[in-house]
Amino acid sequence: MDDLLNDFLAETAEILAEAGGAIVAWEADPADRDRLDAIFRLVHTIKGSSGFLSLPRVTALSHAAEGALDQVRRGHRAADAALVTAVLAIIDRLSGVCAALGTTGVEPAGDDAYVIDALAETGDIPHAPVEVAGVPLRREDDLTAELQNWRSIRVPLPLLDSVMTGVTDIVLARNEFARMLRESGADASLIASFDRLSDSIAGMRQSVSQMRMQRIDKLFAPLPRIVRDLAQGLGKKIRFDTSGGEVELDREMMENIRDPLIHIVRNAIDHGIEPLDERVAAGKGVTATISVAARQSGNQIEIAIRDDGRGLSADALVAKAIAARIVTAGEARAMAQKDKIALIFRPGFSTASEITAISGRGVGMDIVKSNLEKIGGVVDVRNEEGRGLTIILRVPMTLTIISGLMVRAAGQYFAIPRGAVREIMLETSDTVRIDRVGGGELATVRGDQLPLLRLEDVLGCTSDDQDDVDDRALVVIRPGQGQSYALSVAAIHDHEELVIKPAAPMIMATGLYAGTTLPDNGRPVLLLDVQGLLAASGIDASEAARNADAADEAAASRNATQLLLFRDTNGRTRGVPLSVIERVEEVPADALFEAAGRVQVRIGSDIFAVHAAQRPDVDGAVKLLRLYDGRAALCYPIAAVIDIVRLPDAIQPAAAPGLVAGVVLIGGDPVELIDPFWLMAQYGGGEAPMLRQPLCRLADDRDGWGRHFLAPILRTAGYRVVSGDDADEAADVLLCLSDGDGPCAHADADAPVIRLRASIAAAGPDDKTVYRYDRAALLDALRLCVGGGRA
Amino acid sequence: MMDKLYLVARIADTRVALRSHAIHSVVTVGTPVRVPAAPPHVAGLFALRSRVFTLIDPHVVVGLPPVPVIPGQRAIVVDVADHGYALLADEVEDVCFIDAPEARIVSRLLPGWARVADAVIEHQGASLLVVDPSHFVTLPAQAAA
Repeated sequence: MDDLLNDFLAETAEILAEAGGAIVAWEADPADRDRLDAIFRLVHTIKGSSGFLSLPRVTALSHAAEGALDQVRRGHRAADAALVTAVLAIIDRLSGVCAALGTTGVEPAGDDAYVIDALAETGDIPHAPVEVAGVPLRREDDLTAELQNWRSIRVPLPLLDSVMTGVTDIVLARNEFARMLRESGADASLIASFDRLSDSIAGMRQSVSQMRMQRIDKLFAPLPRIVRDLAQGLGKKIRFDTSGGEVELDREMMENIRDPLIHIVRNAIDHGIEPLDERVAAGKGVTATISVAARQSGNQIEIAIRDDGRGLSADALVAKAIAARIVTAGEARAMAQKDKIALIFRPGFSTASEITAISGRGVGMDIVKSNLEKIGGVVDVRNEEGRGLTIILRVPMTLTIISGLMVRAAGQYFAIPRGAVREIMLETSDTVRIDRVGGGELATVRGDQLPLLRLEDVLGCTSDDQDDVDDRALVVIRPGQGQSYALSVAAIHDHEELVIKPAAPMIMATGLYAGTTLPDNGRPVLLLDVQGLLAASGIDASEAARNADAADEAAASRNATQLLLFRDTNGRTRGVPLSVIERVEEVPADALFEAAGRVQVRIGSDIFAVHAAQRPDVDGAVKLLRLYDGRAALCYPIAAVIDIVRLPDAIQPAAAPGLVAGVVLIGGDPVELIDPFWLMAQYGGGEAPMLRQPLCRLADDRDGWGRHFLAPILRTAGYRVVSGDDADEAADVLLCLSDGDGPCAHADADAPVIRLRASIAAAGPDDKTVYRYDRAALLDALRLCVGGGRA
Repeated sequence: MMDKLYLVARIADTRVALRSHAIHSVVTVGTPVRVPAAPPHVAGLFALRSRVFTLIDPHVVVGLPPVPVIPGQRAIVVDVADHGYALLADEVEDVCFIDAPEARIVSRLLPGWARVADAVIEHQGASLLVVDPSHFVTLPAQAAA
């Protein structure tokens, strides 16, 4: 009895799903006698089986629907919207009753008079007609040859799954056996017969995966119904058609794309298709078209959902995204058209200006996208603003088997979904250049800059010592639209068809893995989440940011800083803001010397600190950038000046403060940006030599006291000292050693004057002179006059 | 009858009783595969009859340092939310029928044990902690959250 009931429920559920779509299709073309007959047969089947199982409610409901349909068949009644609605209500009620039957095992009590009465003939209720075309009720050959049905049998799913598991085990055992055979050096005839066994196992595996396949029109079956109901509710006229229903898809896969598909169709009806008057104003036909087409390409299934509605407006999307604080206005300006459209996939983004009953349920396109990505699929959008939108879902044919690239890192294997891999190359290849810049790494592949992630670093592992550096390879990964990065791995292993299972929640929670797989060697391998790796390393991999629009550049150049590009002594290209450079010096190499634990340089009569760990071991001339912060100067040795360019806005900052503040791209090449702030701080404080030591002129030094007693103190304090009229240079300060009040007999008229007196006591409160042995007061006075000097 | 059936094992250096209906099977662990960046109580992954199991180190769950997996070591398989987990056992003694009632834990346990233990039970003159194996799987995640 239980078996009978289960069979009945399974069959009925299938019939009901099919009937809903078929009835809507029939409503669109009431003259289609074949279709009407088929629906009648479906309902009749339910009635017959339910009578046998004594399920009075199911019998009554199906009887009522059968009666009404029979009247139509006999021409006593026309198929109108009211009738179809009533039949659909019966179908819904039947589904509800059957669901309850499935869980409790008994038919629930309830009153169906309301739905049955609705079937009685009523006056014409005007409804917007819905045209539906091209929903095959069954395969064409099914309609014409029902007799073929006996050729299929119903198999419980758990049995199917256990067969699948069994075959997978056989395959694993075969592989193990094959390895042992090879190692034991078995003779050729043994290996030949093993190969025969192996081939038949492979064939069996193939058949088993096909057992799980279902025609995709099963997935399409509920759609006509949804379109009809929604269109009526919104007062829109929609023609709905499907094609490619014969494409086959893994049963589990089907489950995973059912909700996304329905969501997209709902969206199309609710937001895509304009109200009637708008369509007329836009010069479109009153009846809109939504089509769902499936086709197989390779081992992928492509489902395109097309509508001829208003499409997406990039500007409206951006405005909404800014309002929802998903992007900033600045980011939005830098976005390419394609990226603006891709905003609909951002979490928290809903295009509906207000939440409607139909699609505003908090399920956004981001959920659609993540659901598809979970099963190794992708979502693509083709937008023609004002003319329609096509959303394309690409999914692998089976959930369980994807093509994966096996790579090695930290001594173990990982799998990368083949679909996300754009390119594979050895790190030593000529087309690749890897630059270590500011703590991060950049890979340049034929002029394209890609952020470089090392798999070991992202996973927090140490590299395996056994890995050969020459094997290291770059996998260029495109995790989603408009994003790409290079993943460095210890070695590339091979391609394999992988059976993917979800990993335990705590492993999925790391965000680094998309599942586990069991390759032929029987050792579990983790499937990497290519998007998650990116998120975990916190890198912006968007291609748009790397190739900013020319217009943005023009706008930004107005207040941009200029950057001096130079080649560093170690050959790297670096840049430093032009404004901090006082001048570029070229000095003989022997002007550099090591003193006080530092490299210093003598330029003219001044001594400057040099940013270098040791004296450059070169002959001839050394080029130095002289950085000046307004107080102190520092020399930075370089190999050559390259250019002066505009400093781009996008700086990839370094992880920790240091010599390099970050990395910028200049003309497509990575350039390390020197941090002048950090540099100056290293040599800062009072120890930095004065850029130019102030010149003190000793006036009226008649007895030589100034030259012999005073000058050494002044020099220690960082002043240059001249006596009398020596030197051509104008002095910064005049020290007048004559005791009298007479003016100093010197030409440095505008230099401040400090008078020294010989007596310890001041002449009076207004006396500005300084006692000549009061060292502190003298230096204070000097500092006051010229600044600088050391206390 | 089934309710009184317990698996007596030594896990995380402690003899415990596990209710048999919570346990799927007891298996022998091959060489596990590491899961980089996973929570510390995840000792790795291993495959058995085309199923992948997540290996849990109970030592970490109760606050002890992790122990390396010895090839051939036994593990207790439990299904939690449709995923297969294997708890590393130091030693699996026996499945036995214990008639004594489960009693409330009166003594003060280490915090790690207090989280996983449900009760104590008297068996052959010794008091055994009755632990729910699924707690070893789910609790550390909650503690981290």
